[in-house]
Amino acid sequence: MSESLDQSLFLLGCSHQVADLSAREKISLPSSSIDEFYNGLGKIQGIEEYLLLNTCNRTEIYAASKSNLSRNLIIQYLSKFRNLDPAFLSRYSYQRSNHEVVSHLFEVASGIDSQMVGETEILGQVKKAYSDACKRNISGKMLNRLFQKGFQAAKWARTHTGISRGQVNLGNVLCELARRIFGKVANCRLLVLGAGEVAENTMEAFKSRGSQAITVTGRTFDWCPLSRNKPSELAEKFGGFALSFNQYKDSLHLFDVILTSTTSGQSMIGVEDIKRAMKKRPAKPLFLIDASVPRNIEEDVASIDNVFLYNMDDISEIANENLKSRMSEVERCRGALAQRAQKLWDQMTQQKEIS
Amino acid sequence: MSVNDTRELLWLAGGLYGLAFAIGLLKTFKINWTPFRESPLAAISLGFILHTRALYLRGLDVHGCPLGNTLERIQFILWSLILAFLILRLLWRLDLLGSFCAGLSFCAGWLSLVFPQLDSNYWLSENYEKLFSNPWIELHASIAIFSYGLFSLLTIVCAMYLVQRKALLSRKFNKLSSFLPPIQELEVAAMRLLTVGVLFLTISIIVGGMHWTRHPELVSQAKLSVTLILWIGYLMVFILYKTGKLYGSKFSKTSITLYLVTIGSLALVNTRTKESNTTPPPVITIPEYSTDE
Repeated sequence: MSESLDQSLFLLGCSHQVADLSAREKISLPSSSIDEFYNGLGKIQGIEEYLLLNTCNRTEIYAASKSNLSRNLIIQYLSKFRNLDPAFLSRYSYQRSNHEVVSHLFEVASGIDSQMVGETEILGQVKKAYSDACKRNISGKMLNRLFQKGFQAAKWARTHTGISRGQVNLGNVLCELARRIFGKVANCRLLVLGAGEVAENTMEAFKSRGSQAITVTGRTFDWCPLSRNKPSELAEKFGGFALSFNQYKDSLHLFDVILTSTTSGQSMIGVEDIKRAMKKRPAKPLFLIDASVPRNIEEDVASIDNVFLYNMDDISEIANENLKSRMSEVERCRGALAQRAQKLWDQMTQQKEIS
Repeated sequence: MSVNDTRELLWLAGGLYGLAFAIGLLKTFKINWTPFRESPLAAISLGFILHTRALYLRGLDVHGCPLGNTLERIQFILWSLILAFLILRLLWRLDLLGSFCAGLSFCAGWLSLVFPQLDSNYWLSENYEKLFSNPWIELHASIAIFSYGLFSLLTIVCAMYLVQRKALLSRKFNKLSSFLPPIQELEVAAMRLLTVGVLFLTISIIVGGMHWTRHPELVSQAKLSVTLILWIGYLMVFILYKTGKLYGSKFSKTSITLYLVTIGSLALVNTRTKESNTTPPPVITIPEYSTDE
């Protein structure tokens, strides 16, 4: 009895915790081969229920069986499928069994095992993997219970602990600041001067929150519909507008959030420009972000009432503070999830003994 | 505990506001027990009902709007503050504003009850005549006090604006600032409160002025000056905001300063009343209450 219980749940996985990017790339399954992988996995002797969680940072195989299940068969199957040396796979993967699987899934679904602690995307990915397994009829009584309880545990962790508190992505930090200033980010009008990773990140974050008024301008931008310079490309990519570079100073008052991200090395927005803009929108705050090094916005504009100026150091500091705050909650969350996992495992084994 | 005793009802109402404030604080700091969910609003609402009954009973005692001593004036302002909050709450879910209002009402309400000398039984004196013999003066006084309630709420919103602004400028976001509304919404709310407050104060001034033109001898020069200065002050803030000359932190600081002056002027009026050993007058331009008409 104890032997069979010992083999009830098994997990073979690879994630950022044990493997670097190049190793993860080798182990990860291309989406085109998922069907084939599942077909072969189902033929392994003793395996009754199984599920594959395959994301950019993680490849995990969950398996359940009432009889003896040889872990080696699963490891061999994956290494053969991906043409990997078994020693390589052993080095860059981890194995869990029984209540460890429950604990691991709870941690993964709640986001505390993610590279960006507390991120919420992973829960959607786990749900998608489970839904896919249900459609294929390969998830049974044990995995159904495990994953449904995993979703509940993830929800509990996000509600009752601070693991998702504060934003840690730069674009999301800017959106959070914009929300504190203006309320709905969707109603904010964003002007981006220049291009770059921060600019793209910000536009993506604003766009994902429903912002419809994204405008891009840049020194290399030429007002010509055929030009494919970076700012106009960005505007097109995020469904925004392109603004001629020589017009932006006269249009500052039309925007709520202005981000500069250029390598010009000179001041592009001065105190007088902002004073002029604020005269046209006195009671409306203005949020300025200087993501350039050297800076593009004169520091003195911060002294103007209703103007909030942030530079990259400020944004990074907030992101780091939020991350620290999340990290301080991880241990508390892990302990609580372990208790819930143990309780679920006890229930699962008791039911099994009764049946 | 008697539901027919004004002071006991006021103690109870203050206690309920205090309870709402305490629960609101616990909620702010993420102590979220399920029974806490709507209890601050329920406590404020119940407190408001008891508060209303207390003022109604006192109104029956004095045969008019109860504005005859310091306790009554403070309680009427707090009642107006809670009323304004409850009206706003219908349009705008702002639990933290409710906590602030409840906290202020609890502190000021209980403080006014702790000192019995603030609650003289002037209506029991032998030569007591009806507090407001003229209903227009009663209307003037009650509207003026209601506008003070709105200005109290305006002050709270301005304080919230300054806290949020400080957090944004210092890049330090504590738990309190995390629960405050966005800075732009606070400014819009402050403007709306100022508009409604100025409107009510203006109506009050007009109604009081009509009486003053007939009986100028009944209104002291000091009270008239203070009232007009406050009215002009709030009106100027309103005009300067509308013309884009006063906004943001300066608008908030000016509004708070003006409110402190308003509260200070109440004390001035009280002191004067005490010295003259006459029935204490209500705030703003209310003349001596017994007009021999």
